[in-house]
Amino acid sequence: MSENENFLKIAIEIAQKENVDEVIAQRIKGKTYQIRFSNSLIDNSKIWNNDILELFLAKGKRTTQIDIEAPTPTKIRSTIIEASKFLLKLPESFLYNGMESSLYTYKKFDQIFDPKIMNFSEKAPELVNAAIQTSLESGAKKVAGVLYFGYSKTDLLTSYGNEGSYDGSYYRFTIRSFVDAESSGQGIVCSRNLSGVEKKFMQAGVKAGEIAKMAVGGTQGHPGKYDVIMSPTVAANVLGQVFDGVNPLKIMIGMSPLKNEHLGKQIASEDFTVVDNALLDNGLGSRPFDVEGTPTGKTPIFTNGILEGLLQNTSTSKMEQVENTGNSIFFDFGIGSKFLAPGPSNIVISGGNYTLEEIIAECKKPTIYLTSNWYTRFTNMMDGLFSTIPRDGMFLIENGEIKKPVRKLRLSDNLLRICSNISAIGKDVQQIYWWEVKTPTFLPTIKVDNCTITAATQ
Amino acid sequence: MENGKDIADFAVNYGVSHGASYIEARVVDSRDESYATRNGVILSGGITYSSGIAIRVLANGGMGFCSTADLTKNTIEDVIEDAIKLAKASKRKTPISFSEEKVVQAKWKTPVKIKFEDVSIEEKQKFMIDIDKILNKEFRFKLPTRTFILDLYSDEKYIVNSEGSKVESENSIISTISFNTAKGKTGGEQRMLNLGGASGWEWIEEENVVEKILDDNKGLVKAARNAIETNLKEVDVVISGEVAGIMAHENVGHPSEADRILGREGAQAGESFYLDLIQKGNLGDIKMGSDEVTIIDDPTRPGNSGFYLYDDECVKAHPRYLIKKGMLNELLLNREYASRFNTQSNAAARAINYKREPIIRMANTHFVPGDFAFEELFEDIKTGIYMKSFTEWNIDDRRFQSKYVGLEVYLIENGEITDTMIRRPILELTTFGILGNVDAVSKDFNSPHGYCGKGEPSQGVPVWLGGPHVRLRNINLGGKNK
Repeated sequence: MSENENFLKIAIEIAQKENVDEVIAQRIKGKTYQIRFSNSLIDNSKIWNNDILELFLAKGKRTTQIDIEAPTPTKIRSTIIEASKFLLKLPESFLYNGMESSLYTYKKFDQIFDPKIMNFSEKAPELVNAAIQTSLESGAKKVAGVLYFGYSKTDLLTSYGNEGSYDGSYYRFTIRSFVDAESSGQGIVCSRNLSGVEKKFMQAGVKAGEIAKMAVGGTQGHPGKYDVIMSPTVAANVLGQVFDGVNPLKIMIGMSPLKNEHLGKQIASEDFTVVDNALLDNGLGSRPFDVEGTPTGKTPIFTNGILEGLLQNTSTSKMEQVENTGNSIFFDFGIGSKFLAPGPSNIVISGGNYTLEEIIAECKKPTIYLTSNWYTRFTNMMDGLFSTIPRDGMFLIENGEIKKPVRKLRLSDNLLRICSNISAIGKDVQQIYWWEVKTPTFLPTIKVDNCTITAATQ
Repeated sequence: MENGKDIADFAVNYGVSHGASYIEARVVDSRDESYATRNGVILSGGITYSSGIAIRVLANGGMGFCSTADLTKNTIEDVIEDAIKLAKASKRKTPISFSEEKVVQAKWKTPVKIKFEDVSIEEKQKFMIDIDKILNKEFRFKLPTRTFILDLYSDEKYIVNSEGSKVESENSIISTISFNTAKGKTGGEQRMLNLGGASGWEWIEEENVVEKILDDNKGLVKAARNAIETNLKEVDVVISGEVAGIMAHENVGHPSEADRILGREGAQAGESFYLDLIQKGNLGDIKMGSDEVTIIDDPTRPGNSGFYLYDDECVKAHPRYLIKKGMLNELLLNREYASRFNTQSNAAARAINYKREPIIRMANTHFVPGDFAFEELFEDIKTGIYMKSFTEWNIDDRRFQSKYVGLEVYLIENGEITDTMIRRPILELTTFGILGNVDAVSKDFNSPHGYCGKGEPSQGVPVWLGGPHVRLRNINLGGKNK
């Protein structure tokens, strides 16, 4: 018996001895590396030695979740005994309706692990410095960014006997280049495997440098109504707020623009087709099973603009009397204790037929092209009223051509209106995952008609 | 913690003997107890313990950072060797250096009367459920969706560095988040209210938390039911401590961070428009706003959510006057950026846990209270608005163009706050547009809590986001996102 299997079995046995009804034990062990850079130099390099045992305990409808770092049999025993006592003092959870109880075996899912990752730390600094150099050569005056990479082994055992394991590797690279303080561009590349990584870093660096160069000389834009072209980076953040709300819990607590009455109705443009797909070879959110041990798969969210369904785990699917989609995660609100609730794996928006150049050429009305954004916040999440701040190159398009770089504008709009006003979908699908997009999202450039653009009044 | 201290001391000696020109070890033992309810019924509850060590080194002019929860000597040796290797591999042309600081050996702790562990789980839940009962009784169908989170965090920390500094601390932070939706005639309004402070369980009674939450929800329900659309354009605006606090934080605190100014956050939280200013002038000579504007960041104020007496680089904390009488006065510095500016650190280095590097952070940034009584702020306003709370906000990554959307907002007419509520007025202003139009600051002080995000991976550090009321003259209200 390996140390992992041993720890998981010990955890389940101790919990059962303490009269806990249902148990999940998941151990994630591995290393995460980070190389940060700014002002064209590496400013800090980091390694996190990760070893965490995540436990979920349920007695009836009473539930708690705990993490044990660097687990040992002694730590596991004392933590579970304390948590079991704590559990008995908790009231019943309104959300919990049981966990996965059917027994499954899982197919091997080797595609998300590239063994080359184990030696990548040797050459990563050199590749980062090369990408910085490439961006400088393409016109940037200074470059900042971050490379993360790492590997992990995930082992799961539940009190219902579901047992599975998978290895994962990944990298994600963000590079932001500046020609001057207000002229910048960004490139993002992320993957599960290292094939062609050197070239991809270079391409991201070149892209960042070229956008930065195009942004030079930008002037204050004018507020008003515009069609907006969102790069994949922007669309992943803005539309990501909708996908984040494809969740019965978020709807219940008012943190989603979606409502149950939207189900089965067309609330987005006809070309808009979106799935949650946990089984993509290259998806940073890919996994063969969820934390309850339910096999994962592909779940339709929007099909031709119609809201098909929500992401579910055992509890919410029982509550809503629908099929479990295998999306159970340890959920939290960014603070405080975690609990079982649905969450996305990889979101995938189907690509369309247009290149970016064709989308630009087809713009008849004044259009703003956004290459990046940050700081999306809501006046009202249920209404979908939000604004977000463009950053990096932003361009005014007139008569089918990029006319000039513009600055200091804000996209202030409504999420549902944006979904229904999508007028063109590109074919340049890429995976986005960075500081402002925390769900791996595969998507292309997307054009939205008639958006509200605002600016500071003084 | 005793074992952790020995390991940290061992780590520093090991690092020095293996090629680190500087090494610091930070051991953190923490406990986080938290509960969430939805409409008074429990959603989650748990206590999580965390214990581990952070190692940060300088070697060959580069910086390396590693962390682990495995405090055995063999692992620590591996971790330090990794950190040194990483630092060397960065091959920097210009070496990273730290400012010279006084070597200290100190202990500090947050004053706590009632430890979280000494309060029964039942009492904590009763507090949460009672709050919901009060809200439900008061508002019923007018406040149909209520989510409430209670978080009780405490830690013990030991930091030691190769210069001989050692700081031990005990911290305790209590916070609540209430996220509620009120129903109105034309839809609804939502509100996230954060309260918190560096304290023990006694904070709930001493700070009248139940009363504050009830009062805030009265405002939310009133706004949802009564607020009206207007065509107000140029008006005088009185903002509460909550609104002034978020402005002080976003428009002044963040651009004052020296790492941001010099580009270290370039690919994440962004840079700072202060770069343009300090390239053209000197601190003390750069006009930021009217003479009434003095903005301070003070980690040492007792009870504030960002309370500390020594930062995570063992530098003694003190109040930092970011803007004094309208003039740019001081930046927020850690040792690396103090060295870049050829000065001393003002103790702004914080890390949220042992897995994160210490970076420049705010603690408690606010307008310094002035001489005006609250009522006096309104006396000569012919037409204006009083913005008591806000919902949406954001700011560009150079921290110049900000937006604050009002929630509980009243019309001011002829020197009086009226009962007329204004629906979602927008202050979409540059930093100069805010600071240049301040003409009065009140004596009072309000102190909402929040989490400030920055860094990669992001570190949400607890801060206070409050201050006195502030009056802004002749403000053009911004465009709406309909």
